[in-house]
Amino acid sequence: MTATVAQLAPVVGQVTIHNRTGANAPCQAQEGKVFCFQWAIDNFDRYTTPLLNQLLLVLIAVSIGFAVAFAFAVLSHRQRWLIPTFTGATGVLYTIPSLAFIFLLLPITGLGWTTAIIVLSVYTLQIIYRNIVAGLSNVPMESKDAGRGMGMTDRQLLWRVELPLALPEIIAGLRIATVSTVAISTLMVFANVNTLGQPLYQQIDFKTNIVIAGGLSILMAILLDVLLLLSQRLLAPWRRASMEARV
Amino acid sequence: MEGGHQAASVSYRDVTKRYPGQDDPAVQHLSLEVDAGEICVLVGPSGCGKTTALRMVNQTVGITEGDILIGGTSVRDRDPAELRREMGYVIQQIGLFPHRTVAQNIETVPRLLGWDRARARQRADELLDLIGLEQGLRDRFPSQLSGGQQQRVGVARALAADPPVMLMDEPFGAIDPIARERLQNEFLRLQAEIRKTVLFVTHDIDEAIKMGDRIAILKKGGHLAQFATPAELLMAPADDFVEDFVGADRALKRLALMRVRDIDLWQAPLAFVGQSTAEVKAKLDGAEVPHVLLIDSDRRPLGWLSDSDLRAELVPQTPDSGPEPILDLDDVMRDALADLLQSETQYAPVTDRDGKIAGVLSVEIISEFLVSPEAKVEEHAAIERPVERPLSE
Repeated sequence: MTATVAQLAPVVGQVTIHNRTGANAPCQAQEGKVFCFQWAIDNFDRYTTPLLNQLLLVLIAVSIGFAVAFAFAVLSHRQRWLIPTFTGATGVLYTIPSLAFIFLLLPITGLGWTTAIIVLSVYTLQIIYRNIVAGLSNVPMESKDAGRGMGMTDRQLLWRVELPLALPEIIAGLRIATVSTVAISTLMVFANVNTLGQPLYQQIDFKTNIVIAGGLSILMAILLDVLLLLSQRLLAPWRRASMEARV
Repeated sequence: MEGGHQAASVSYRDVTKRYPGQDDPAVQHLSLEVDAGEICVLVGPSGCGKTTALRMVNQTVGITEGDILIGGTSVRDRDPAELRREMGYVIQQIGLFPHRTVAQNIETVPRLLGWDRARARQRADELLDLIGLEQGLRDRFPSQLSGGQQQRVGVARALAADPPVMLMDEPFGAIDPIARERLQNEFLRLQAEIRKTVLFVTHDIDEAIKMGDRIAILKKGGHLAQFATPAELLMAPADDFVEDFVGADRALKRLALMRVRDIDLWQAPLAFVGQSTAEVKAKLDGAEVPHVLLIDSDRRPLGWLSDSDLRAELVPQTPDSGPEPILDLDDVMRDALADLLQSETQYAPVTDRDGKIAGVLSVEIISEFLVSPEAKVEEHAAIERPVERPLSE
């Protein structure tokens, strides 16, 4: 890892190195401490831009990933032989190490947001695709039979019966994809996007910094996860009803 | 209810279904004429093609050869989705949409037909009343209902657009026996009101006899073994297969098709309180029933007079044995027989709707009836549904 970071020196080098002395001098003496409160309060503003960048990056990447995975899933729902193909292809993409992925894209998209968005979106495909496919195939046969028998076209069946019933699983996929995207997005500093990875890698030996940057990233993951869970409760109220009925 | 669609006839014209990859056809040269407004039951052992036969009507299974006409129009020329919206469809697994409320489930076909929200909603409310489900359940999800309630909603959903034809595939098959009986009776009562053409699939011959105006018995491979009214089927099975399928107890099953009023009852000598016993005893000579029945001034049975009762000079007020069981002219014969056997009495007074004595029934009368040749003729005329009709108040 250290070797990798060293190789990336030109990239990281573009980042201004912040001065840890001066205003936060008292902190210097307590370098061994896990967390330096005063320093955190004085320097919090240096995390705002990375935080917002990372949030935006995650939202864009997950949205694009969802749109692509959704299109694949709906396509392969009617042409079921495509399922192993898509699962295999997204699976292979998922195994590419993120740094390698960035370098692979360098000649094509260069450094910057485009590369970061492509990498992160591609990673979400596998999880979201599999969950949509699983959700669609778990729709009870009898609901489909009844829907078709009452005169729903394939399209009506998909939008009025199958997708609503697959919603809890689709959202479950989105939750996993979102949380992992938040984590991986810190690495996008190597694609030269100023995410929370920026302060993280910049002062990797300063614990207070690590706690703030890492903590913000974790909080973001938890917050987005909770929001998605709430949206599931809201969009699929029947799900709770059937859970309670089973007790 | 909406103006509604007239029930339509359904006719199978030499219909054959071959599934790809199977040597033997699932249904072979099936021809059936189902009249508008009747319940036609398709019954047979598993693998006889009854469900396939049903599903070809709404084209959820394609027809290989032949044709099915609904009200004279071929189903093969129709757009499948449009065709299906004109038919009620009820399946064993019910298939309510778990993510939709009771009302939304019922509104499915009206919404597909493009009704506006208000009209569909109003129709759902009507149907909840029709199937006897409280309005309070309208916004529940299916998982919050009992199995019986779910199946009622399933029937309501099928009736929502007032279709001329109903297809029911083992609709009560997954319901416990007690609830099933109730649902069957409810459906028959409903049918007396709505008069749809109903195709009803079951593997249970008792259910077929109970529900069917006519029954089509199918053999393995979709051969029609017999198509007849329940009574004909029980009296004159077309072949060994039908006889076997109908069961050894078909005599008893015939009783399920009759009411007490359909049989010639015996008469017992009657006595009033305070009458002289000598007068009463005289009536016993040559009477059909060798016991005297005590009645009140409204001719309601009070009990049977014993020999010791008759030893007094006047007929006493309280006889030795009560009149129970008292049967009603409208009781189903099989239930009446069960009452007789259960109470271990030989005779039971039968009363009319006002409770007045109409005659006496005994096990002997029933067994004589079943073996006498003229019974068949009478029974023909007497076929009625073995369910309580709602009283016309």
